[in-house]
Amino acid sequence: MPPPAIILDDVHLTLSGGAGPVNVLRGISLSVAAGESVALLGPSGSGKSSLLMIAAGLETATSGRVNLAGTDITNLGEDALARLRRDRVGIVFQSFHLIATMTALENVALPLELAGDGRAFARARETLDAVGLLPRDAHYPGQLSGGEQQRVALARAMVADPCVLFADEPTGNLDAGTGALVADLLFALAARAGTTLFLVTHEETLARRCARVLRLKDGTIAGDARATAA
Amino acid sequence: MSSLALAARLARRELRSGLSGFRIFFASLVLGVAVIAIVGSLADALLSGLADNGRILLGGDVAINLVHRPLTPAERAFVQSHGRISQVISMRAMAYAFHNGQAGARQLIELKGVDPAYPLYGSVGLAPELSLASALACGGNEFARGGAETQRAHTDGALARERAQEFHGSSPVAVFPSAPPRLRVPGVGPTCGAVVEQTLLDRLHLARGGLLRIGKQNFRVAAVLTDEPDRLSGGFSLGPHVIISTAALARTGLITIGSLIDYSTRLRLPAGGSIAAFRRDANARFPNAGWQIRDRDHAAPGTDRFIRQIGVFLTLVGLTALAIGGVGAGQAVRAFVDRKREAIATLKALGANGSLVFLIFFMQVMAIAALASVIGVGTGAAIAFLVVQLYGAELPLPAHLAVFPAPLSLAFAFGMLSAAAFSIPPLARAREIAPAGLFRDLVAPTRRRGRLPYRAAAALAGLLVLALALAVSPSLVFSLWFIACAIGGVVALSLAAAGLRLVLRRLPPLARPAPRLALANMTRPGSATEAVVVALGLGLSLLAAVTILDRTISAEVNGSLPGTAPSFYFIDIQPADAHAFDRTIARFASARDYRRTPMIRGRIVALNGVPAARAKVARDARWALNGDRGITYAAQEPANTQITVGRWWPAKYRGPTLVSLDADLARGMELKLGDTITLNVLGRNIEGRIANLRDVDFSTGRQNFVMILSPGIIDKAPHSFLATVRTAPRDEEPMYRAITDRFPSVTTVRVKDVIAELDTLLEKLALGVRAASLVTILAGLLVLAGAISAGLRTRLYDSTVMKVIGATRLQILRVYALEYAIVGAVTGALALGAGAATATLVSHRVFDLPPVIDWRAVGLIIGGGVTLTLVMGLAITWTALAARPAKQLRNL
Repeated sequence: MPPPAIILDDVHLTLSGGAGPVNVLRGISLSVAAGESVALLGPSGSGKSSLLMIAAGLETATSGRVNLAGTDITNLGEDALARLRRDRVGIVFQSFHLIATMTALENVALPLELAGDGRAFARARETLDAVGLLPRDAHYPGQLSGGEQQRVALARAMVADPCVLFADEPTGNLDAGTGALVADLLFALAARAGTTLFLVTHEETLARRCARVLRLKDGTIAGDARATAA
Repeated sequence: MSSLALAARLARRELRSGLSGFRIFFASLVLGVAVIAIVGSLADALLSGLADNGRILLGGDVAINLVHRPLTPAERAFVQSHGRISQVISMRAMAYAFHNGQAGARQLIELKGVDPAYPLYGSVGLAPELSLASALACGGNEFARGGAETQRAHTDGALARERAQEFHGSSPVAVFPSAPPRLRVPGVGPTCGAVVEQTLLDRLHLARGGLLRIGKQNFRVAAVLTDEPDRLSGGFSLGPHVIISTAALARTGLITIGSLIDYSTRLRLPAGGSIAAFRRDANARFPNAGWQIRDRDHAAPGTDRFIRQIGVFLTLVGLTALAIGGVGAGQAVRAFVDRKREAIATLKALGANGSLVFLIFFMQVMAIAALASVIGVGTGAAIAFLVVQLYGAELPLPAHLAVFPAPLSLAFAFGMLSAAAFSIPPLARAREIAPAGLFRDLVAPTRRRGRLPYRAAAALAGLLVLALALAVSPSLVFSLWFIACAIGGVVALSLAAAGLRLVLRRLPPLARPAPRLALANMTRPGSATEAVVVALGLGLSLLAAVTILDRTISAEVNGSLPGTAPSFYFIDIQPADAHAFDRTIARFASARDYRRTPMIRGRIVALNGVPAARAKVARDARWALNGDRGITYAAQEPANTQITVGRWWPAKYRGPTLVSLDADLARGMELKLGDTITLNVLGRNIEGRIANLRDVDFSTGRQNFVMILSPGIIDKAPHSFLATVRTAPRDEEPMYRAITDRFPSVTTVRVKDVIAELDTLLEKLALGVRAASLVTILAGLLVLAGAISAGLRTRLYDSTVMKVIGATRLQILRVYALEYAIVGAVTGALALGAGAATATLVSHRVFDLPPVIDWRAVGLIIGGGVTLTLVMGLAITWTALAARPAKQLRNL
């Protein structure tokens, strides 16, 4: 049995703000099995995105331990974390976060190029094709619709065959139809590659498509439900 | 009026947000205005110092200057009848250090003989503090009888008397002794005192109290000359200054036939005495005296002109800094408008019209500009004041310690007008923002450019800056050229930056991500490329042009002369010594191109009968009318003469005087064959008819005379000879010693020493100019900082996204470093091109020289461009690199 893709052990996160310190996460412990799809549900301000950022190595926990894709990242340096993300992790954001000066193809190829992959563009083209955007490969983000931009972001997240795909409100900025299309792609790509999916959302319907649903409230896990087989 | 008040009220509210976003705008204005204020204040401090000390610098209220001869008794009596007088005799001579009765080290000096009345104004600074009279005293009380001694020296010599009478006819104006001194004759009689500059003691390895020999007179160094009040009214110094008494000068035996001696008679007018009246009377009474009368209001015209020209140059450098800062200011205002789009649209939706919107934001910008200009003016005035206060005593000129309102007002005006010129265009676009934008996502302007009246107002402000710069410039042509070059530079660099962007955009995508990202960053909308290329490029262009010009002139001075130029110039060879002199030179086997020519000084007083002052003469030929010129005569056409028009006169020609004239000068004076030139030589007017025109090239360093006369009359004038010779380096020192040992009255100028002096002077000047051009680079760096800071948000975004998808900091750093290095290298290369083009233009048109490109300069400019951009860019974007992705992701 493969080791868990994500392990969080008594993770706390305290952020200092103008009005004093804020305890965003209070002793989160969880384990996500490899290939599992997990949705993290919760109201605004419950700490969903912070939890995703800690799990993805984008944020350092105030205390507790974090293990990602078999690596203890608790005390890992910034560049080592970057390399881990490059090789093992894909991330999709609500706001797409594409690089404006690069074409769709270049955006998708970038993680592979950073890793020094000689087939970066060929693989990027394949992934772009998988999200149905190969005909728009030479377009810049500014020339694409929101849905198209999110599909490019999804392709960029999946191009390096990551162990874990993090998605933070991936349909939050899209209309219902486009959002459904992007969600379908997200689940299909993750399932096809056997990638662990860690999805942050506030949409119950989207969350219910995951095998496991975690509910977060005031920085603690208030519920952990596994879906029964349909 | 009410809309103005309303705009002011709203502007005041808007200003609550402080100066954020205007730091670069503010700093650029402060820098440019401060530079102009400093330059203007220092120039005024020096000019007012010159004006107030005119009589001290001149040595009197009026100075009557003559070459070759003193005033005649009649002239002297006339001048003396107007007030108190003092006579100063100046010449170049050789000084020998004397140890144990033997001549040792020797040095070319600027020798000045003064009478007891000297100085009429001011005082001579000596160390230790002595009275000048006691320092210059000879063994007896000769100093007190100086005037009489000199007069006696002039009236000695039968040969001189005969020559002079032959030249002048029945009324000689001056006569001279004939026997030049010999160094081998030991000095006799009492030793006299001399005061000398420390440099002479250093060069001759002498101490105070040491012995000097000048001509045939021994001198004891009584004191070190620390302050010579009338030094500035003299010309370029070839050697250290030495002051002796006129009595002692007479004993040197150097006052001989045709020697190059300047006689200056200074007059101190009684209270209420009129300079103009004296000038008028003097010229009416002695119309043919051939003297030059200068007065206290123009005591040091060369220095005055120099200060004004340097002042203009530095003011233009300050203006360039303002213009460069203006690029940044324009950017800052554009960014300001971008930030205020929503506020503007809201104002309009609430009923504000375009003019009110423009006024609100224009008032804010101009209020900030006024504050910056006031700070710039204050800083400039304070720095100038401190410079005069702390270093005034060390300046070679008297400087006034004061605050000068005129240059400060000018600096303030420059600041405000530049701010208006650069900020009106973006503000005019702001007035076009449509309120409907509030209801769409995009609040976009409906016009790309502002309306015509606003564009015209911006252009008017720019033109006013230029007009003001030209109005205060004493050299319109120079200023026009500078401004044209600066505008040309901005246009060329802007076009080049736009071209670069176009080319980069069309490049096929690069395989490697770092260069691809770097190029993408350079071409994206709002990138810093254009601002950096124009702003930093202009400063670097100026530095490149100055460096290349410096190298060109330096190469001309150092490099081109040795092949063709003589090794020595010998001045004041007396006719009696001429053949012995020739023989001494002939002893040196390596002596080449030896040429000995009669040398007389004369002044052009009329062209075709029209007095020189009223003649129509081009600017580049006017120098020939300012003061005395060297003239020679020749029966036969000298070797290497290139006659362009006319023919040389027959070898035995003895008719009316004919003139062979420099062709360039003839063009400038609009003279042709057959026209006449009237020369005043030793008080006598000689009219000559132009027989031929020659090409004269002074750059060869060989003997050259703009006027050669046919013999007949001019050869009767008492004169000495000028000789030049080229020799092998190994023979230079032996020849120098042989000539200076045997002919102490001959002034020996070693060309390589003069070149070294000139080179040092040029080096200092070039260093100063280069330092000044750094101000423009500083302005460029401010703009660079502004442009990069403006794009910081985008870079934060990019670097965060890149970190998220796995880029290490080194990989991101590489992208930015590459981008800045490319922009810097391109800027450096473009600046080099623009600077080289400007330098080529100037070196061809002004110096008539081919430019010399110094590869060190090339490296310096391009390397400087790369380094400055790289360091500044990375320093500012370090925040983007250092930022933690999670923190940034929350804000994205």
